[in-house]
Amino acid sequence: MSAAVIVRRLVRRYGERTVIDGLDLVIDRGEFVALLGESGCGKTTLLRALSGLDPIDGGSIQAPGKPAVVFQEHRLLPWDSLWRNVSLGQPAENARQRAAAALAEVGLGQRLDDWPRNLSGGQAQRVALARALVQQPELLLLDEPFAALDALTRLKMQALVKELVARHRPGVLLVTHDVDEAIGLADRILVMRGGAIAFERRLDGEPHPGLREELLAQLGVAPGPRGAAHRPAPSLNTL
Amino acid sequence: MSVAEIHPTGGFAPASAPLAKPRAPRRAPSGSWLFALSWAAPLILLVVWETLCRSGYVAPQILPAPSKVAATAVRLASTGGLFNDLAVSLARAATGFAIGGLLGFTLGVAVGFSRVAEAAIDRSVQMVRAVPFLAALPLTIIWFGVGEGQKIFLVSLGVLFPIYVNTVLGIRQVDPKLLELGRVQGLSHWTTIRRIVLPGALPSILTGLRYALAVAWLALVVAETVGAQAGLGFLAMDAREFLRTDVIVLTIVIYALIGAGSDWIARLLERRLLRWHPNFGGGGR
Repeated sequence: MSAAVIVRRLVRRYGERTVIDGLDLVIDRGEFVALLGESGCGKTTLLRALSGLDPIDGGSIQAPGKPAVVFQEHRLLPWDSLWRNVSLGQPAENARQRAAAALAEVGLGQRLDDWPRNLSGGQAQRVALARALVQQPELLLLDEPFAALDALTRLKMQALVKELVARHRPGVLLVTHDVDEAIGLADRILVMRGGAIAFERRLDGEPHPGLREELLAQLGVAPGPRGAAHRPAPSLNTL
Repeated sequence: MSVAEIHPTGGFAPASAPLAKPRAPRRAPSGSWLFALSWAAPLILLVVWETLCRSGYVAPQILPAPSKVAATAVRLASTGGLFNDLAVSLARAATGFAIGGLLGFTLGVAVGFSRVAEAAIDRSVQMVRAVPFLAALPLTIIWFGVGEGQKIFLVSLGVLFPIYVNTVLGIRQVDPKLLELGRVQGLSHWTTIRRIVLPGALPSILTGLRYALAVAWLALVVAETVGAQAGLGFLAMDAREFLRTDVIVLTIVIYALIGAGSDWIARLLERRLLRWHPNFGGGGR
């Protein structure tokens, strides 16, 4: 399987502070990787470096193409219709048809000419997802894309992302602080600490008793009764 | 009455519902009645004005009756002279507006995008802006005489600043997160400007445009009053020589109508260009 991104000895500093310190990471095409970490551990910094928004101070990032990004906020252009938003940065030829297909995939195929202001938070985030997928990326970067959604919408969005990723098979890096979300979606879970990958576990679709508690411990959450620190694990299979 | 009263059913009712409902029919007049009143009030003032003039309390040399002004309008319009003067004034305003607007917009875009341009231009423009531009009137007469150049210059000067200031402001206020999105989507510099910066700055630019329209008329009135061979201001000053207050009042009314008309056009532009904006566009959620 070919790699969607290869990161070698990555270093990123903000002034005197080294946020990413010699990080290595390979994500294959079709592989869903979730990246957990406490606030300020550098996981968003890593994602920004991978997306090309921030420069790097050392090491290398190799990727075959331009990654697509979905941010925590939808970042739709309020002055453009939905299909114009989805085709932002796309070649003009057949832009509308391709945007229509992408919007149909996220269940908004009937609203090509609607304005972003008429969308709910979940719908807007689905348009952002369509805007990422229309680029047919080798690498899809998701920066806490469900964090601002309500609990029910979040579950639906997670199921939709899982389905679309299974269909398009980009390499995915999902940055999240939600352990259950990581377990429910990812093929591989990473925990970042001290500017590098401190913990790694491949899931491969098998049940992993005790993984949740293990991850919480990795994140510095004291072990307690199930569900005390986080919500109970959502069951994505039932959606 | 307490803020949240306990209903007989046992639950708390929202404070607004029980307070507003029983009072509404007694206190609040209906919308159509208020609308009628809002138009009746100025009409009554007109009737009072007409009555005062006809009864001789106000001499026609001081203030002519509205009916006299209307008759004068019809008479001047039928000879075509009024339209000629109106066209001359409109042409001056349009030319001055185009020159000042283009200059203000160009400078605003340059300063909005480039820190170097800001350092080179902004302080000087702000200094000149601090001067009330009408104070430059005597100077413009020395420079241009009392011809067209002087009037167009004064209008341009007045229009330049509001357009400039609001263009800079609009560009600087564009959401940095959307600019970041543009980079992630791989937009070129020019596409970023066209798709993100200018649409984002447009509400502010249109505000500047609307303000500039008002300033343009103010500048024109002052410039035309000083010296002109044609135009509405000339009509008014010419009438002053002969104590024709009806003509003077007519020009004032026309200035007012044009001001209201240009404001209406600006609002139409906002509604058309800012359909997407929750504060301007109709419909939506």
